[in-house]
Amino acid sequence: MPTSLIPALDPAPLPGPPWLFHVLWVLTFFIHLLFVNTVLGGTLLAAFAGAAGAGRREIRTLFVGVNSWAISLAITFGIAPLLFVQVVLGRFFYTAAILVGWAWFGMLILLTIGYYLNYVAKFRLRGGKDAGAIVALEAVCFVAIAAIQVTVNLLHLQPGRWEQVADRAWVALGDPSFLPRFIHFVLAAVAMAGALAAFVAVRRAARGGDPEALRGMARFGVKAALIATLLQLVDGFWLLLALPEDVLRAFMRGGAVTMAPLGVGILAGVLLLVVLAQISDPLVQATKVRRAAELIVGAMVLMIVTRHELRDFYLAKARAGEQVTVAPQWGSLALFLAVFVLCVGLTVYALVRAAKDRPGPGEEAA
Amino acid sequence: MDYPIWNLGLGGGVLIGIVAIAHVLVSHFAIGGGFAIAVIETLAVRRRNPAMRALAKRSSLMLILVSTVFGAISGVGIWVTIGLVQPVATSALIHNYVWGWAAEWGFFILEVATALLYYATWEKVRPRTHLVIIWLYFFAAYMSLVIIQGILSFMLTPGRWLETRSFWDGIFNPGYLPGLVLRTGICLLLAGAYLTLAAQREPNVSLRARMVRLLAVFQVVGALLAYAGYRWWEFVLPGSVKAIFLGAKPLLAALSSTRHLVLWALAAYLLVALFALAAPKLHRWPTAVAAMLVAFVFFGGFERLREGSRKPFVIRDFMFSNGIRVSEIADLNQRGVLAKALWAARGSAASIEAKGHAVFRAECASCHTLDGYLSIRKLVAPVDPDMLKGILSTLHEAGKDYATGKYSNRGRIATERLDYPLMPPLVGTDEEQEALAAYLLSLKQSYVAEASHAN
Repeated sequence: MPTSLIPALDPAPLPGPPWLFHVLWVLTFFIHLLFVNTVLGGTLLAAFAGAAGAGRREIRTLFVGVNSWAISLAITFGIAPLLFVQVVLGRFFYTAAILVGWAWFGMLILLTIGYYLNYVAKFRLRGGKDAGAIVALEAVCFVAIAAIQVTVNLLHLQPGRWEQVADRAWVALGDPSFLPRFIHFVLAAVAMAGALAAFVAVRRAARGGDPEALRGMARFGVKAALIATLLQLVDGFWLLLALPEDVLRAFMRGGAVTMAPLGVGILAGVLLLVVLAQISDPLVQATKVRRAAELIVGAMVLMIVTRHELRDFYLAKARAGEQVTVAPQWGSLALFLAVFVLCVGLTVYALVRAAKDRPGPGEEAA
Repeated sequence: MDYPIWNLGLGGGVLIGIVAIAHVLVSHFAIGGGFAIAVIETLAVRRRNPAMRALAKRSSLMLILVSTVFGAISGVGIWVTIGLVQPVATSALIHNYVWGWAAEWGFFILEVATALLYYATWEKVRPRTHLVIIWLYFFAAYMSLVIIQGILSFMLTPGRWLETRSFWDGIFNPGYLPGLVLRTGICLLLAGAYLTLAAQREPNVSLRARMVRLLAVFQVVGALLAYAGYRWWEFVLPGSVKAIFLGAKPLLAALSSTRHLVLWALAAYLLVALFALAAPKLHRWPTAVAAMLVAFVFFGGFERLREGSRKPFVIRDFMFSNGIRVSEIADLNQRGVLAKALWAARGSAASIEAKGHAVFRAECASCHTLDGYLSIRKLVAPVDPDMLKGILSTLHEAGKDYATGKYSNRGRIATERLDYPLMPPLVGTDEEQEALAAYLLSLKQSYVAEASHAN
C-alpha cells in the first residue's frame, strides 16, 4: 500500500514569490466573498421575506435585482482565488475536488439554475406577480453550492481523510467541523445581507421612498443580522472546538499573528451585536445602521485572515519538507498588474460617468 | 496520473468537449456581438435611426444573458472540468500561465461590469456615454481573447517554449496569430448570424433589408477572415498533425473528414452571407436560421479538429493526454508506472488482473471507459490474446521511441510514423504490461468462459 496518497509537487517552479500569491489570494477572496454573501444571504432573506410584514415586496425586489449583477460579480471575482489556490496548493485542491467530483461539477448546474431562476423571479416581480416559490428554489441552489464549497475546502486540508472519502464520498460530510463551518458561512452571509437591506432602506427613505415599507424592510434586515450574529457567536466557538486537536493547539500557540485577527474578529462580532441590539428604528438611527455594516465587513476581513492561517496549520504535516522552487516571471507579472490597474480604472471611470452623465429635461437619452 | 480518477461513463474528454464548445460559442458570440452592437448603436446615434437603436437594445439583453450569465458560468465550468479530468495538465498550464490568466481576468472584470452597465443604462444616460460603455465592453472582451488565444494555441503548437520554458515564447507560439485571425472571423460571423435573426423582427421591410445588408457585411468579412485564419493555422501545424489529417493514415479518417466538414460548412455560410448581401429582402427566417446552424457546425467542427489534432498529447511534445510527461518515460519504464500513480494503484496487489486494472486506470482511463465512450470492452472484444499482446508491445516500444527520439522531425516527435499515432505510448515495466494484458483479456467474456472451461 502506498504510504501517502498526496500527489507529487508540480515540477514547474512557482512563477512568482509565494507571499504575493497569498496576498492576492486573500485579497481577491475577500472581494469574492462580499458578492457571495450578498447573493447567498440576500436570496435567503428574499425567500423568508414573507415574515417581514411590511416591506416584503421591497426586500424581494431588492435582492432579486441585486442578484442579477451580484451573481456575475461573485463568479468573476471567484476566478482569481481559484487560480491562486491551484498555483499554491493545486495537488491538495484537485484531489479533494475529484473525490467529490459529481458534487463539484454539479455546482455548475446549480449555479446555472439559480442564476436563471433569479431572472425568472426578476421578470415576474416586474410584471407585478409573486416570486416567493422561485426565490425559495433559488435559495436552495445557493445553499447547496455553499455546502459543496465547504466540503471541498475542508477536504483539501485533510489528506488523512482522502482514502475513506474515495471509498464512500458521503464520508466527506462526516467531519466534526463540517456542520459548524457550513453554518458559520451561511450565518455570515445572512448577517451581511441583513445589514445591506437595512442600509439600502435608510438611503431610499432619505430620498423620499415609502417610509412604511422601507421601515419594514430595514427592521427585517436588522433583525436578521441580529439573530444571525447571535447564533454566529455560539457557532464560532463550536467551530473552534470542532477543529482537530493538533490544528487548534498550533493555532492557539501562534501568538499575536493568529490570536490578534481571531480576537479582534470576535470583538467585532460582540460590538456588532451591541450596535444591532440598540437599533429600534433603523430609519432614524442611520449612523448605527452604517456602523453595523462596517463592523460586519471588518469581521469578515479578520475571519478570512484566520481561515487562511488555519489552512497552514491543517496542512503543516502534509507539506513538511516541501521543496518549492521559485522562478518569478516578472514580465508577465507586470503585464497582469498593468492590465488589472487599467481595467479597474476603466471600470470605475465607466461607473462614475454613467452615474453622473444623466440627460437633462428634454434632452435625448440613449 | 498522480490523482484519483473521476469515473465518467461518457469519458472525461467528452465532458471537457461539451463544456468547452458551449463556452467558446458563447464567448466568441459575446465578443462579436459586442462589436456588432457597438457599431449598430454608433450608426443609430449618428443617423438618428430608431430602428437600428431598437435592434441594439433588443440584442443587448441577449448579450447580458449569454455573456455575463452563461459565459461566466461556463468559463468557470472549464476550470472545474479540466481540474477534475486533467489535473496534471491543468497544474502544468497554471504554473506557466497564471499571470496570463490573471491578466485575462482583469479584462473580464471590465467586460462583465460594462456589459451589466450597458444594459442597465438604456434610457438613463446620454447617448455618448452609452457608446463609451459598449466600446469599452468590446475592448475588454476582445483583449481577453487576445490573451487566452495564446494559451489555447500553445497546447497544440508550443513552439520554442519546449526549449526555453519562457512565458512569452509559449504565448506567442506559431499557432497564435493564425488562431487569432481565425477566431476574430468566427466572432464576426457568429454575431452577424445572430443579429440577422434579431433583425427579422423589424416590421418595416426596407429598414429590415438595410439592417440585414449591414449585418451581411459582418458575415462576409467574418467568413473570409475565418477562412484565411484557418488556412494559415493549417500551414503552421506540426508536420505530424498535418500528415495525419491530410490523409497520411487512411485508417484515421475522423480528423480528415472533420476537416472537410469544417471547410464545407464555412463555404455554405459564405454563400448564405453573400445571398444576404445581394438580396437582403429575401433573407428571412429560413436562410437566417440556416446561416446560424452552419456557423455552429463550422465552429464546433473546428474545435473538434483542434482538440483531435493534439492527440496523443494534451500539450504537444511535452505531456500526453494521460498526464505522463515525455521526459518521464524512461524513469517510469524503470520504476513502473504504478510507483507514481498511487491512486490508481490502490488495491492492485490483489491479483494480476487487479494490477492490470490499476495500469489501465493510470494510463488509459483518461480516454477510454469500460462500457461507455471509447469502450475498452468493445475494443478488445474482437482481439485475440496474441494480437492484444502484440498491440501492447508496439505501444510499449513507441514509448522507448519517444524517449530516445528515434522518430523525430526537426526536433519534434514524428507521431505519424508510429503505428498508433493518436495513442500515448504504454509506459511501465514488462510486468505491468503483462498485467494490463491479463486485465484486458479478463474483459472478454468468451476468453473468461474458455479459461474457466479449461480449468
